[in-house]
Amino acid sequence: MRAALALTGMFLLACAALAQQPAKAPAGFPDAPGKDVLTSRCFQCHGPSMWTAQRQDRRAWEATLYRMVGRGALWNDDEIQAMASYLATVYGRKAK
Amino acid sequence: MRELVARYLSQSISRRTFLKGLAAAGLTPAAARSVLESVVPSAQAQGVEGVRVVEGTGGECFAEQLVASGVRYIFGNSASEDAHFYEALVDRPQLKYILTPHEGPGAAMAAGYVKASGEPAIVMQAAVVGLANAIGQMFNAYKEQTPLVFYSYRTDQTGRAGRDGFEEVANQEGIVAPLTKYAWLARSASMIPETVRRAFKAAWTPPYGPTYASWHSDLNDERTRAEVIVQEKVDPRMRVRPNPAEVERAAKLLVDAKMPLMIVGDEVTRAKATAKAARLATLLGMPVTQARSVHANFSQSHPLWVGGLPVGRISSLDFPKNPDVVINVGNKLQHNSPNPMIGRGVKFIDMRIDSWSMGNVIPTDVPLVADVAFGLDDLVAAVEQLVTDDLRRKYAARADEVRAFGEKRRRLSRLFAKSPDWDASPMIADRVTWEVAQFADRDAIVVHEAGSVAAHSFGFDPDGGRELFYYMGAHLGSGTGTAAGVKLARPSRQVICLTGDGSFIFGPTALWNMARLELPVITVVYNNHAYSGPHSRVIEKVPNGRMVETGHFVHDYLGKPDMNMAWIAKGFGVEGEVAHSPAELKAALARARRATMDGKPYLIDAQVARVGVAWADSPWVPTVRERGERERRM
Repeated sequence: MRAALALTGMFLLACAALAQQPAKAPAGFPDAPGKDVLTSRCFQCHGPSMWTAQRQDRRAWEATLYRMVGRGALWNDDEIQAMASYLATVYGRKAK
Repeated sequence: MRELVARYLSQSISRRTFLKGLAAAGLTPAAARSVLESVVPSAQAQGVEGVRVVEGTGGECFAEQLVASGVRYIFGNSASEDAHFYEALVDRPQLKYILTPHEGPGAAMAAGYVKASGEPAIVMQAAVVGLANAIGQMFNAYKEQTPLVFYSYRTDQTGRAGRDGFEEVANQEGIVAPLTKYAWLARSASMIPETVRRAFKAAWTPPYGPTYASWHSDLNDERTRAEVIVQEKVDPRMRVRPNPAEVERAAKLLVDAKMPLMIVGDEVTRAKATAKAARLATLLGMPVTQARSVHANFSQSHPLWVGGLPVGRISSLDFPKNPDVVINVGNKLQHNSPNPMIGRGVKFIDMRIDSWSMGNVIPTDVPLVADVAFGLDDLVAAVEQLVTDDLRRKYAARADEVRAFGEKRRRLSRLFAKSPDWDASPMIADRVTWEVAQFADRDAIVVHEAGSVAAHSFGFDPDGGRELFYYMGAHLGSGTGTAAGVKLARPSRQVICLTGDGSFIFGPTALWNMARLELPVITVVYNNHAYSGPHSRVIEKVPNGRMVETGHFVHDYLGKPDMNMAWIAKGFGVEGEVAHSPAELKAALARARRATMDGKPYLIDAQVARVGVAWADSPWVPTVRERGERERRM
C-alpha cells in the first residue's frame, strides 16, 4: 500500500507505457490553432486522458503547463501560450 | 578519548585513525604519540591480529563482534530479550545506541547514516513484531542497494520453539529472504559472532544490500566462548577491474560513435567516481543524463549535462534525439514500463558491479562488470589511446552542440517562475521548491521524499556542491529518518528534508531523534492535505468515470480535519510553524536557519495548493455512519 502511494514520486513515469514512436494525436483533439504544438511537445510523455478528463479555464491551463516546465518540459513562452489557448478552447471550463 | 582508546584496543580503528582522532581531540603530535605508546602493550596483548576469543553471554559476544565489524552506531527499539546486549553496552562506550521510537523511521535513520557516511551500522528490532515495522525500510535498502544489517531475536526460546507461542512465527528469517542478500538463524550462542560478521560481509560486498541476522532469545543470555574477527579479515574487498578485451571494444564503440550518450547512476557516487565520469564525458564531448537514482551523480551545472530522463526512456530526452551508442555507468536502469529504456538498435555498453541485472531487459553489446571507478579509469585510458587530433576536433564540435543545448535548457527550465500562480497562497509546489533552493547553503544536502515535487533549482553537484538523497525505494516514511541519519553522519553540512504531507505522516517519529540528539535538520512539508499522485493516476485510468463526474474520490483527501504538521513537530520537541504564502515561507526559513545555528531542528508546514483534475475547493469526504445512527450520547 505504501509503496503504491509512493508512486506519487513517479508521476512522469506513469505515462511511460506509451510507445517510443513519434507523437500522434488521438481522437478528441479537434483542429484548432495550437494543436500542432500540443501534439508535438506533450504526447511524447502523456496519454490523452491527461487532457480529456480535465475542464479548466485558460489561466489554469497556463499554470498546468508552467508546472510541467518545473518537471523538465522544455517549451518557450510562445509555445506555452499557444498550447494554453488551444486547451482553453477545446477543454475549457464547462458552462454550468 | 575513552571511546577512542576503546576503539583502538578493540581493533575497530587503525593506528593511523587513532592518531588522527587524538589530534582532532586537541593533542599535539608528541602527546598523541605518547598516548599511543602507552596503549600499545595492551593492544598487543589481544592475541592474533584481528582475531580474539571472547567469553561471556551471547549478548556480550554480539557486542564484541559489532565492535570488530567497525560499528559505531546501533539504531534500535526497546527489546526485552536483548537485556544482556544492553548490559554489554555499558562498558563499551565505542558502541553508541540510538533509541528510535518506531522501527521504520529508525531503520530509515540507519540507512541515511550508512549512505551518507559509508560506515557500517546495525538496526535492531524486538522479535518479529518489531521486524515487521522495519520491513518497509528493508525494502528501500534492497531497492537502493544500501548495505544495512538488521537483527532481531526470536522471542521463542530454544526450549519452546515451534509451539506457536507468544510473538512466534515459523521461519522468521524466511520472511525477509526476498529482501535481503543473506538471512540466517544462528543455532547456538557461540555462532552469534560468526552470524553477525557474515551479515556485515554480505551486506558490504558489492553489489551492496541489506542482510538479516537472528537467533533464539535465550542465546543472548547463555554464556559461551567464541571467536571475534575484525571486518578486514573477512572482507573480500571486491573491487573488480573490467575485462580488458571488453574495455577495448567499449572504447572503439565510443570513439566511433556519431552521438554517444552516458547514463550515470548511484554506483558512480558510491565509488567516489563522479570526477572520473566527467573526465570520460569531457574526453568524448559526450552528453550525460541520469535515470531514477538515489543521488544526483553528475554535476547539473556541467556543460555536458542534458538533464534527467523525463519519463525513464532515452527517447524522451530533448537532446540528443538519436544517440547511436549509450553507455550506462552504474545505474540500475529501473524499468517502469513494458518498453525498454534504451530502444533496440542502439549499441549499448553497460558498466556496473551489479552483473545480475545486466542483459535482463536491454541487449548488451559490451558488458563491463567492474567497480566503476576502476572501469572508468581503464576506459578513459583505452579511449585516449584511440583518439586522434581529427577526432579531438570532432568531439570539440560535439561538445559545443551539447553546450548550446544545455544553455537553452537552463534558460527554458527557469520559465516555471512565470506561472500565473507564482505568488498565490496557498503556494504552488514550484514556488516552495524555488524558495528553499534560494535559501539552501551552497553545499546543502537535500533529502527528498516529496512525492511528485521536482527538485529543480538546486543545481546539484556531487563534487563539492549540493547533494541529493532521493527516495528511490519509494516505501514512504523514510524522509525524516533518512535526514536525521544523514545529519548524524555529516554534522557540518546543512541538511534539508523535503517531504510531502502523505509521506511525512508515515514516519514523523524521527523528529524526536532530531530533538533528542540535537540534529539540526530543516524539514519542509509540502502540505496539500492530499495524496495528489494517486488522485491523478486513478483519473488517468478512469478519465471520464463516475469519480470525475460526481467528485467522489474515496482515496485521496487528507483534510477535514486538516493535519497541522507544526503541531505534530512540537509534540516531538521540534519547533515549527505553518507558512501560507511565499512571504511567510521566506520568514519561516530565516527562523529555521537561526534555530539550526543553535543546534535545533525546525519544521515548516508549507501550505501547498492541490492541483490537477477534479479537485474541489472543499472536497467530498466519505462517511461511514448515517447521521442519527448513534442511539445515545455518552
